[in-house]
Amino acid sequence: MGVAFAMPAVIYMLVFIGYPMLQNIILGFKNVDVFTFSKPDMQEFVGLKNYMELFTGKNSILTKSITNTLIFTIGSIFFQFIIGFGLALLFNKKFKGNSFFRGATMISWLLPVTVAGLLFKFMFASTGGIVNQFLTQLHLIDAPIDWLLEPHTAMIAIIIANIWIGIPFNMMLLTTGLTTIPEEIYESCSLDGANRFQRLFQITIPMIKPAIMSVLTLGFVYTFKVFDLVWVMTKGGPVNSTELVSTYAYRLSFEEFQFSKGAAAANVLMIILMVVGCFYIKLINDEEEAM
Amino acid sequence: MKWKRAMAVCLAMITVGAMALTGCGSKASDAGTAPAADAAESGEAAQSGKEEAASGGKKEVVIWDYFETDAQKEMMQTLIDGFNESQEEYTASHVYVPFADYEKQLTLGVASGELPDIVIMDGCGMASFISMDLFGDISDADINWDEYIQGPMESTMMDGKHYGIPFATNCTALFYNKDMFDAAGIDYPDENTTWDEFREMAKALTKDGVYGFGNAGTNTDEGTFQCLQWLYTAGGSYTDIESGIDAYKLMQEMIEEGSWAKDVVNWTQSDVNNNFMAGNLAMQQNGPWQIPGIEKDAPDLNYGVTVLPKKDASSNQATSILGGENMGVVKKDDTSGAVAFLKYYDQTDVMVEAMKQYGSFPPKTEAAQDAYWTEDEIQASFIQQLATSIPRGPSALWPTYSSAIQTGFQEVMTSAKTPEQAAKDTQAAVDAIE
Amino acid sequence: MKQKSNKGLIFIGLAIFVVFLFPLYWMFVTALKTQTEIFAIPTPLWPRELTWEPFLEQLSVSGDTLRGFKNSMIIAVGAMVISTILAIPAAYGLARFRFRLKKPLILFFLITQMLPSTLVLTSLYIMFSRLGLLNSYIAPMLADATLGIPFSIIILRTYFISIPKELDEAAKIDGCSHLGSFVRIMLPVAKPGIIVTAVFSFVYAWGDLIYGITFITDPTMRPITSSIYNYVQQYQTLWNSTMAFGIVAIMPVVLIFIFMQKYIVSGLTNGAVKA
Repeated sequence: MGVAFAMPAVIYMLVFIGYPMLQNIILGFKNVDVFTFSKPDMQEFVGLKNYMELFTGKNSILTKSITNTLIFTIGSIFFQFIIGFGLALLFNKKFKGNSFFRGATMISWLLPVTVAGLLFKFMFASTGGIVNQFLTQLHLIDAPIDWLLEPHTAMIAIIIANIWIGIPFNMMLLTTGLTTIPEEIYESCSLDGANRFQRLFQITIPMIKPAIMSVLTLGFVYTFKVFDLVWVMTKGGPVNSTELVSTYAYRLSFEEFQFSKGAAAANVLMIILMVVGCFYIKLINDEEEAM
Repeated sequence: MKWKRAMAVCLAMITVGAMALTGCGSKASDAGTAPAADAAESGEAAQSGKEEAASGGKKEVVIWDYFETDAQKEMMQTLIDGFNESQEEYTASHVYVPFADYEKQLTLGVASGELPDIVIMDGCGMASFISMDLFGDISDADINWDEYIQGPMESTMMDGKHYGIPFATNCTALFYNKDMFDAAGIDYPDENTTWDEFREMAKALTKDGVYGFGNAGTNTDEGTFQCLQWLYTAGGSYTDIESGIDAYKLMQEMIEEGSWAKDVVNWTQSDVNNNFMAGNLAMQQNGPWQIPGIEKDAPDLNYGVTVLPKKDASSNQATSILGGENMGVVKKDDTSGAVAFLKYYDQTDVMVEAMKQYGSFPPKTEAAQDAYWTEDEIQASFIQQLATSIPRGPSALWPTYSSAIQTGFQEVMTSAKTPEQAAKDTQAAVDAIE
Repeated sequence: MKQKSNKGLIFIGLAIFVVFLFPLYWMFVTALKTQTEIFAIPTPLWPRELTWEPFLEQLSVSGDTLRGFKNSMIIAVGAMVISTILAIPAAYGLARFRFRLKKPLILFFLITQMLPSTLVLTSLYIMFSRLGLLNSYIAPMLADATLGIPFSIIILRTYFISIPKELDEAAKIDGCSHLGSFVRIMLPVAKPGIIVTAVFSFVYAWGDLIYGITFITDPTMRPITSSIYNYVQQYQTLWNSTMAFGIVAIMPVVLIFIFMQKYIVSGLTNGAVKA
């Protein structure tokens, strides 16, 4: 009976995601490139050749883009989580306008990423960008920073944009976790004379550990696959400094016509995400069994 | 508050309505998409209806292009109208596909068979798509092959076979702001200007937020198109980076001096031109297609154009890189319509008229000698530069070369690497391409 | 004492609100500025010369802004309907029944949520081409629904789990079938969750760039995200017009948010505990 309810959605996803995914895995083991693309009889299986070449070539861009993706993901999640957690704690207190402020911060999550990317590209522009203006007026910098032109600052700029987009997600899930902690625990604790920090680390964090783990793993998965934002802001440049695995795979397939290599790069992304995904599944399994 | 509730009710109704349909699974999803399907179909029907009415049983010739400006669109329409009136058998029409997406759409088109009859595309991309079997061999067609300029012609060929004809050709040259030169009391650059003199000029003109020089160095083939000429002029080529190391040195030193705008790593050619028009650049490297824009948006700009600076007094005129579009005939069972269109364009007068509108040069030696170009001082400079212009590649793997080469330029321009290191690494990257 | 700390909290809340919404404010202000003011140093925080021109230009009939808006609306509503219709029973099935395939299926939906769209682009294109769906609203609709389905199932599943089992058991005693109890009891109770998932399916489809830009080349049918992307390619530094375009593009999302805020917050906080 349960299967019957789930079946339409399962079939739909199998057709529109499962099948293309399978195709992509197969393509990653073949030698489809600009020369063999239209000649099926010349397409053959080459085993792990594409993967070897992607990883071992001198100046391997794949290795670099994996590193970039990790920096991007960890940088984004770290701040999204800290800020999101701070906001969740704040909005867990009762004060006037609480729900309005909380709601308003949600909006960055709902915007089309294309628009958010353009907006940040504009704010980080070397000339006319508001970020430089603020920093100069606050005397934090003397000369305008070429945010999107320098390799290091370009990475910082896309991380900042992504943090802005991702904070609400962290905040919402953590707020949910916080509401599950019974008031009495805090009360009994403050009688014991525990201060705020002790309460935070000894009660709050352990109590909402499941929510924290969910946020971190899901945040990892969502951030690791980001494409539109970077494509709109930097297209992976300058000098591949913001090239993520997703943008690199796209570039290989649709700009350099190395279809099999593009598929292989995308598969590397998928494998990393699956490992994280399995971790997440185990997590919710343990939790459900505990319930 | 009332509004909120109304909105919520509306949304709830949509959802509930949708759910009411769940009772009978497949039907429900049909119903869900049906209105859109109708809309799409009626749209298509209307379109095809129009086409039929216009064609009256003639065979269709569909052309893809990425022409965006009004002048380009008008040029295309004039060409198509002219072709349709010139004969009874075919009727041509064109479809605009955005440039940023063009090659992706062509690739997907090859994979799925959703293709037009003629593709107008950037010359250097053609070799890849010949390899991908997008274009058909039309060597037998009755076209005046030997009238075309060699460089552009080569980009439409592979292994001695013809897959189309060049559509437009151009190259970049050096634009300079005469007022700035006059104010600084410096002589205008000309065909004898060397790199050293160019560098001194740029340095002298750099002040008050004005850069001496700027070009397009973005991390796409558009950047390669503009940067590569420096490498060739220095003695290198797209497979021999290390011989052109002087170009790397010049770029890095000038950017460090501040006389070559450092923003170029993010600039496209229109960005460069916008900055030139706004008076932020004393000199720019750019192409003739920018001239109509300058005339429209900065009619008072007092500027001149000359060939790009040569390496030193003893060397020949600087190399420039050929730009421009080709018309390729898509491989199909019946290519007669496409070939007919090419033959129509093969007529020198048709070509000359179209290129006047387009702001580029006809790819035929004779046609480019039309008085319209040779008697205009600025246009004549481009014609002069065309004589020492070479195509990119041609290679089916050009996109991979381009990406490796442009990474090298960006490394130099951002001072991420020394010229020596960048040359070594870029050479290795280029050598690794089969 | 209590009163005072409350005021402090309001102040912090307000400060966060200001910082957080500044980018949106900046977008709006930029759209009202002249090009000269945008590049003035320092650029004013509020336009000295208000100009509505960029907006009027974007909204004029000749521009494809409104057409893009309409196209996106059709596509996003379609994707929302498909996604919601498929997700509700699936979430119910995965929440209320025990069967062997249950865990693998949950894993499957999770994994499909993790894939970047670029991974499936080529295969989908070929598939839609064979079905003759390219350059129709249906292709991006079908593809965009895949973004909403996994998310909706995961949120709704926890929603259904949180509904007491006794409710549908009582219904069964009254002689309702599984289907009957599902339609009559569960759906009304889960309404807030359903609304949230529908909203998110809509938002996902509205924000999609890659599917829309790939499957639709006909400029008259392009969704608004791909129109804006193309617009920027052409008019790089016309920031005021670009931002005006952006504001039109985010309008429905902002409206949904304003009207549905209560549902979104409660729907997410109830459903997302374990998702």
